Amino acid sequence: MHREAGKTLLAQAVADGLLTGAILALGALGVSLSLQILRFANFSHAELLTWGAYIALTFTTFATAGTPIGPLSFGWQLLLAVVVAGAATGLVALAVDRLVFNQLRARHAHNLTMVFASFGVALILRNLVLLLWGPDAHYYSDELQIAVEVLPGIRLLPDQVFVLALTLVLVLALHLVLRLSRLGMAMRAMAESPALARVCGIETEKAIRWTWIASGMLAAAGGVFLGLTVQLRPDMGFNLLLAIFTAAILGGTGSLFGAVIGGLAVGLAENLSVLIIPSGYKAAVPFMLLMLVLYFRPQGLFGAADRAAT
Amino acid sequence: MMGIVAYLVFFAIVVLIFGVATLGLNLQWGTTGLFNAGVVGFYGVGGYTQAILTAPGRPELLGNLGLPWLVGIAGAMAASAIAAAIVGVATVRLRGDYLAIATFGIAVALQLVALNWERLTGGSLGLTSIPRPLASVFEEPLSYDLFYLCLMLAIAGTVYVALERIVRSPWGRVLKAVREDETAAVALGKDARRFRLQAFVLGSTVIGLAGALYVSFIGFVSPFDFVPIITFQIWTMLIVGGSGNNKGALLGVLIVWGLWTASGTLISKLVPAAFQTQGGAVQAILIGLVLVVTLLFKPRGLIGEEPVVSRHLG
Amino acid sequence: MRHGMIRGALGTAFAALLAMLLPQHGVLAQTAPSCPVKIGGILPLTGSMGPIAKHIAESAQLGIDHINQGGGVKGCQVQFILRDDQGQPTVGVDAAKYLIEVEGVKSLTGTVSSGVSLPILTAVAAPSKMPMISCCSTAATFTTLAQEGKTGGYFFRTLPTVKTQAYASAKVAAERGYKRIGMIYINTDFGTGMVKDFSKAIEKLGGKVVSTVAYNENQPSYRAEVNAAMSGQPDALFLVAFPQDGATMTREWISLGGTQNLILNNALRTPDYVKLVGAKFLQSAFGMDNASVAGPTVDAFRQAFQTAFNTSPDGPGIYNQYDAVMVLGLAMNIAPDLSGPAIRDSIRRIQNPAGEVVGTGPDEFKHALALIKDGKPIRYVGATGPVSFDANGDVSGPALIWTVKGDALAIDRTMTLEDMAALFKQIDG
Repeated sequence: MHREAGKTLLAQAVADGLLTGAILALGALGVSLSLQILRFANFSHAELLTWGAYIALTFTTFATAGTPIGPLSFGWQLLLAVVVAGAATGLVALAVDRLVFNQLRARHAHNLTMVFASFGVALILRNLVLLLWGPDAHYYSDELQIAVEVLPGIRLLPDQVFVLALTLVLVLALHLVLRLSRLGMAMRAMAESPALARVCGIETEKAIRWTWIASGMLAAAGGVFLGLTVQLRPDMGFNLLLAIFTAAILGGTGSLFGAVIGGLAVGLAENLSVLIIPSGYKAAVPFMLLMLVLYFRPQGLFGAADRAAT
Repeated sequence: MMGIVAYLVFFAIVVLIFGVATLGLNLQWGTTGLFNAGVVGFYGVGGYTQAILTAPGRPELLGNLGLPWLVGIAGAMAASAIAAAIVGVATVRLRGDYLAIATFGIAVALQLVALNWERLTGGSLGLTSIPRPLASVFEEPLSYDLFYLCLMLAIAGTVYVALERIVRSPWGRVLKAVREDETAAVALGKDARRFRLQAFVLGSTVIGLAGALYVSFIGFVSPFDFVPIITFQIWTMLIVGGSGNNKGALLGVLIVWGLWTASGTLISKLVPAAFQTQGGAVQAILIGLVLVVTLLFKPRGLIGEEPVVSRHLG
Repeated sequence: MRHGMIRGALGTAFAALLAMLLPQHGVLAQTAPSCPVKIGGILPLTGSMGPIAKHIAESAQLGIDHINQGGGVKGCQVQFILRDDQGQPTVGVDAAKYLIEVEGVKSLTGTVSSGVSLPILTAVAAPSKMPMISCCSTAATFTTLAQEGKTGGYFFRTLPTVKTQAYASAKVAAERGYKRIGMIYINTDFGTGMVKDFSKAIEKLGGKVVSTVAYNENQPSYRAEVNAAMSGQPDALFLVAFPQDGATMTREWISLGGTQNLILNNALRTPDYVKLVGAKFLQSAFGMDNASVAGPTVDAFRQAFQTAFNTSPDGPGIYNQYDAVMVLGLAMNIAPDLSGPAIRDSIRRIQNPAGEVVGTGPDEFKHALALIKDGKPIRYVGATGPVSFDANGDVSGPALIWTVKGDALAIDRTMTLEDMAALFKQIDG
């Protein structure tokens, strides 16, 4: 009896870990892109998740979340909201680049200067959300979704399964864009060597622009999913910062699928940890993983060597 | 009038405490180019060590040893040094922004330890009744604050002079060389990693000292004293003032902390209560803007690093 | 050796400075109050407590308005100066110092988090002899410090310590027949205190706490914590949380098939929480709140708050903050002068058993001023019922049990001071 209970608990934790990991993966993809192509650790990236979620919220208050589709808690309006929020957040990211990071690049600023600037940008973006939308918590739908028991003792929320599936679709789409399109090629070339890319006549500025837009869109999707399965509040993105960075570094910065695996791994580790250590330490779990990775495999699980160490 | 003096004395003490921390960070970043995004972690180690060593004993706590103030200060510096050495061995080899992420995580983890290790740190309740040095001599708050201000002036002055000397010493010049061109430094036979580790440990020791001074001034410590935003505040101070220059570091503290408190005052005066929540957001946006604008238009800070020209040329 | 000399020289210098400064300082404190009289407020308007503190600030302002409409303090209007502590001790301490020294406030009210109130008290308020009433800081440390004589008697709070809530909740849980109780609690002094006191009480009453899971605020998801709490297979869940995180956890708990036998703490008694979770899932939940016994003074406050801000006053700290301000207003009128010690001593005189009852609102305040002027004793019955501070500045209060009926919060029953005293005796022996 007791052993049975332990097993279900473990299985449930694995399931939950994978599902929350999907959201982390969407955030980690953007961090990974900016580490590779923009070449700095963008501490303000997590705020884009918040922006995406809130833009979608504004959209749904005009259009409502719609009549639920099947077992899901939302209707097509929310799907539309993801698209709108993605586009708008892409623009926000682009605006941030225009106003701050592009200016710094033009001045040939050190990449650590960009990191400092991203600290400041994070603070501004986060507090703009507070200013525009207020401090209260929100949900897309007041309806509560009851989990479906898929296996004895294992309950899943249809919304979360949907989120996991859609995440995989988005990653696949991004992968195809990077592999097959001219733009993707330019972005990959930038990741390999910006100087060489420029010499080869690749429009580096255009590649950079699209990097911002893509990571903004992915972040928006992550933010909406986070709001859908948890809650919207002004610090929702910031609270994911460490987990997202860990996921990106864990996966290695050479590969998109690495970031996805990284996200899932961090989600799993967080959910499994409370079975072993006091839950008060849960927030430190991504950090412990991060230290292990940086110590033993700084290039990440799937990365090329010699990027992280000096 | 007296009130304003009393407040300014208090304000100056806080500025000097942050000032000491910023000087420590300046050795790490300004001189050596180490991106420590976990400042608050070492600040907290110093603060908690001071509390654990000097606070009067309580049966439910492991620490609270009731030792003299100076022992606390020495212990706080030693503990921060040890923590920095452990962290440093694992991380100083990392590339700049990776070091930042790792140290950011360390600060988060240390704060969780403070929150959860109740037997030692008092958990979320924190530790109280931490003795303030010579508290029995100066009974009146203003006279005590004046005394503490003098103490802080002496300590900050000592740290300042010591760091100035260190930076100008041969050891300090190697640190700059490591920052500017590590490959060249290594080619000249300098073990770059060892120098970086030494600078990391020394800087964190100074940051830990600042934590201890803060705690022994306030007389109380809790996990809420060491939230990540403090790291951000101290960094902003350094960058606005001018990294690489100790005078700039201190000036930055004065400006940023002054702006922080002044904007708080203004908001409480000008903004009606119903919109105060938004007022706080404006305050944070302001600090963010100051940082970004400084980076854009005055990347070296208000007082940048002085160009070092060999004395032999003059 | 050299150290000693320096210290000696410094000491002399200070003595000289003080000789110059102190007499003036003393004289300033003695003179008749200059209008307006200022009361300082410190609340976490931004940060994770922002949504809660917003309403607490409104309540404080309502109290100040009532004082002013009722005649102010010693013939002066009262000016309320509110500062944001952002949930950060350094910022809060700076704000307190500013309010006392630069603004010259005569008393303080604040703040929410014990981790901020404590340094304000030990570093600023107590050394400056500044009376301070908190609406919301529950840490047991304040009591300990007061017993050790470290607060100088300057700290008061208008909500009972955690024990009142924990014991009353345990009693009702036992009555409802809950035997195995899981706890998810916020990892602060408030949460840990609740676990300790509730576990003790429920064991005395024949139940058992089967799982305790601490949570840290602002986590993106609480699925893991919820799962861990469920592992003990409890027949009821005691959730100790604040509305936003609390709503997230309750939703996850119910989504995952957890029992709807919920025990909730006082901070969750807000329409926001009910709305965020959905009232239909809370029909078998009950919660505890301190005081707010039904009665004309409570109703008067409810009505005034509703009218002023067009929102319900049900929420953490709102009743308590109003009383904190009103107590200050009354005490400052009773005090012979507006020095800290005089106000401190007068705070205990607002609750004279032989006094005439005065309630909430401007008219009652005016009535109280008339009584005070005639030298008659008063007995303040506020938004949280009769407010009576013990030697440590703590209040013991009656308790009420609340539930959700239909879509709205409802009061199930109240437990009087006598009920509570009997309960304390039963559990503590």
